Parts: sequence; structure tokens; C-alpha cells
Amino acid sequence: MDADALRDHLVAELGDAVEPEVAYDTLTVTVAPEDWRRVAELARRGPEVACNFFDFLCGVDEEADGIGVVLHVYSTFHRHHLQVRTVVPRDGGHLPTLSDLWAGADWHERETAELFGVGFDGHPNLAKLLLSEEFEGHPLRKEFALLTREAKPWPGAKEPGE
Amino acid sequence: MATELGSGGAAFQAADGTGVGIIVRDKADRELHTQDMTLNVGPQHPATHGVLRVLVTLDGEVIEDAQPVIGYMHRSFEKLAEYRDYRQIIALVNRHDWVSSICNELGVALVVERQMELEVPERATWIRMLMAEWTRVLNHLMFVGSYPLELGAITPMFYAFREREEIQALMEWITGGRLHLTYCRVGGLKQDLPRGAIQMSRDLVPRMRERLKEYEDLVLGNEIFAARTKGVGVLPADVACSYGVSGAALQAAGVPEDSRKTEPYLFYDQVEFDVPTGRNGDSFDRFAVLLARIKESLRIIEQVNERIPPGPVNVRLPKVVRAPEGHAYVRTEAPLGQLSYYMVSHGEKTPWRFKMRTPSFNNISSLPYLLKGTLLPDMIAVMGSIFFIVGDIDR
Repeated sequence: MDADALRDHLVAELGDAVEPEVAYDTLTVTVAPEDWRRVAELARRGPEVACNFFDFLCGVDEEADGIGVVLHVYSTFHRHHLQVRTVVPRDGGHLPTLSDLWAGADWHERETAELFGVGFDGHPNLAKLLLSEEFEGHPLRKEFALLTREAKPWPGAKEPGE
Repeated sequence: MATELGSGGAAFQAADGTGVGIIVRDKADRELHTQDMTLNVGPQHPATHGVLRVLVTLDGEVIEDAQPVIGYMHRSFEKLAEYRDYRQIIALVNRHDWVSSICNELGVALVVERQMELEVPERATWIRMLMAEWTRVLNHLMFVGSYPLELGAITPMFYAFREREEIQALMEWITGGRLHLTYCRVGGLKQDLPRGAIQMSRDLVPRMRERLKEYEDLVLGNEIFAARTKGVGVLPADVACSYGVSGAALQAAGVPEDSRKTEPYLFYDQVEFDVPTGRNGDSFDRFAVLLARIKESLRIIEQVNERIPPGPVNVRLPKVVRAPEGHAYVRTEAPLGQLSYYMVSHGEKTPWRFKMRTPSFNNISSLPYLLKGTLLPDMIAVMGSIFFIVGDIDR
């Protein structure tokens, strides 16, 4: 299914719950956190969508709006991509886990949890993945400063005339 | 614990236990009281290509549970990328998978160009393809040598490095680097090919092809190799997709998924090549697919050699490159599998968010599934056949 047809299909199935946007042949739907699980289940199990291939799940710092979470899945049957996006609050934001729908989401959720501080309810083991257990803070949030840059500005950042 | 990780789909469960290498044991009828043992493999283990640690729970010789412990080489590339401009990011990303630097750079160049809606000169695109395919051959040769080595066969390593050296010479001549080539730029390439480089590339193809036969006889035709790898570490297609496993491991499971074919980027739609697939999804198939992928790359190189048109290899860009606001996603087929970059830009000279979806990360996350129920001596045979680079996992 091409991105436009997939958009029409999702809008027909989910109605106002999704806010679609097509860019570069990739459909991105923005949903409310309450609909996260419902949209994901449709993406995985709906025969027309059937996104069986797990690409990635990551966070994006949206500053005052909260922390964005982006899920990208692909269908090896229909050869289409689907990107699902939601925004959760900065403090105590959490989403239901998708690790039972796609096994690959397990590690990606653990990574998002430690780097952005987003909780995933029902995750089998939300322990730190890349960072050590005693690490404090969520490094990919914007308020987490890159210490080396604080100590000494990067010389390459200077452009002529700046 | 590993079974609970992805026990969602019905198909996932149906696939469980079908592998030849999986031994089902019933503890109830056992007379002797046995105790599970936890064994720590790595982080410093010769078969881990870097520092990967696997916590293995053993029942006798059978692996009950295997949990990879990663992050020893985590350098937070994604954070660093937010502090670097687009040119600097290219020099940054060729370090996560250090044996396929051009393929990593290419993804960044493509994602920034997509966001900027930049038209790249034809010559640059063809040369990018040439370099990406030679990088793929280099990368695959590395594993063609190291995998048999992990199983105890030393000779293929020497052969592979002899071949690699010749390709390295070509790459070094063109780019000036051996490991981190930093040859791609946003909008084109660092410089044009030196005179005679295409001829050298032409000469290399038949030589490589001839030697690939040696590998087939030496490794694939070897009975010991077949005995160690056939039916070991079976990864069914549905499980592979669910984990997001890509590259040779996915193709060996019978899924002809290769973004060069399914969603061609560069000029891959203008060259002829096949996507090799396996039937059983075991370690043997993964290795056989890897060898076949080299052959296909050589086929592509042969066609590209004849098609590089004259012209510029770069577009003039302002001193400060800014990607317009928005987000872009590009996936490419890196040697180890699907490499995608997801970039969010706020119109600054550095990206707001730069997500790297590296093939090794997803591939290695399937280890708990793959290792459960196999014998400990098979662990290296399974792990090695996933073909990973630790920098590519940890980033």
C-alpha cells in the first residue's frame, strides 16, 4: 500500500484518533498516549497494515510540549512504512509497552527509558541497557548538558564572521 | 526470562522449538538434583569483536537463558551529533560500524540531502555506489575470515585479509584513509576519483570472483564446518522480523528484504543484482548468504565501473549548511543489515535529534531467542553467524 492509501485506511479505522502526515512516501501519524497501544495493535495485527518488521522506537525532546516518542515499523508483506508519534509529559510520562507485539521493541524501550526518562508499563525488564546502573539523569534530554562542551567550546562550531 | 520477552504473537510461539539445534528437556523425570549455573562470557572474549558480554544460565551443557549485556562502548553518538554540524557528523558516524565507514556516511549524506531537497550530481551518485559496494565486500570478507576462525579454522582469515588488502589499497588511493574514509559529503563527495581508479576497480573484480570459489570450497564444502553450523541457531522469518533483524540473518531466513531492491536509493534500480536468500535460517545459511552477497556486490561493481559519467562530484553549498525544519527518515542497506537514520531538524546548523538505527543493535537483541536451548559449544557458532560489530550495537 502506498503512503496515501495507508493514511486513508488508518483514518477510516481510527477516525479522529490519528493525525496523519505524509512526507517522502512515509506516513507519520500522531496519536494521543491513550491511543498508543490501540494504534500499535492495529499496525501489527491489522491484515491491511501488517507491519511485522520492527525498525526502531526512540524519543525526541519536544521541550515544553514534553517528550515525543516515535515508533517506526515496516511491512515486509505490503512493503510500506508506518511511523507513529506521540508526546508524553516530561515528568512521569509513560506509555504501555509494545514489547509483546514486536520482540525488538524490548531493547528500544529500555534505551528510550534510560535516555529520555519515559516509562513503559508492562515491560518485562526495564533495566538500564547502554548506561551503567548507577548513572543518573537522562542524557538525551536537552537539559542534560554535554560536559565537554560546557568546559570548552568546540572550535569547529565557530564559523567565519560569527 | 527470554521466552517472555517476545511471546506476544501466536506465530512467534508456533515457531518456537522447531529448530534442529534445540533440545527439549524434561526435568521432572530426572533422578539427580541439578542446579543451574551462571556463566559470564566476555566482555573480553575473542569471539565478540569488541566488548560484548553475555550472561548465560546453564543447565549442564544446555543454555537455559542468555542475556547480552551491552553498553561497554557506548559513546552516545546521538548526543554528540546534536553538537556537531552536518559535515562533522559524517566524520562521526563512520566510527560506529568501523568496517563499513562509507556505508554509514552515505546514510547521513542521504538523510541531510533529503531534508534539504538537494540534487546530487550523477557522477557522485555512481561513485558513491562503487565505494559502498567495495565497502560491503570489505566488510563481508572480514566475517568470511573471522567466522571460520571462531570455529577453529585459521586459514580463511589469512585468505580474507589478503583480499581485503587489495581492496584497501584501492580505497586508500581514492580517499586517503584506510578505516575512517570520510569520503562522502552533503551534496556529493570529498574529491573526484584519481585517474586510473576505475581501471583498478575493473581489474579487481575478476580476481575477487576467482578467489571466492576458493572460499566456497574451503569453507562451505568443509564437512566439519557444515557439521558445526547446519541446524544450529535457527532463526525463523517471523521471529527475525519481530526483532527487526536484517541483512544476511534475515535473508538467510528466506525473506528477500534488502532496501537496495525493495526501495532503491542511489541508482540501485538501474543495475542488475539479486538478493540471495537461505532456506533454513541457520548459521550455515547465514554464512552462505554472506558469501553470495559478495558475489552480488561484485556484479554491481562490474556494472557501475562502466557507467560512471563525467561531470562534477559535488554541489556548491554555503559555508554553513542548515537543514530546513522537519523530520526525515532514510534507510539504507549497510553491510550488516538495515541502517536507518531518523533526523529531526529545527532549521539549525546542527540536528535537533539524530537517531541511529544500527543493524547490529537489533540483530544482537535476538540472541536470547537464538541461544535458548542450544548447547554451550554452539554458542560461538551462533553468535559469530549473526555478524555484528560492537560499536554498531553500543554507538
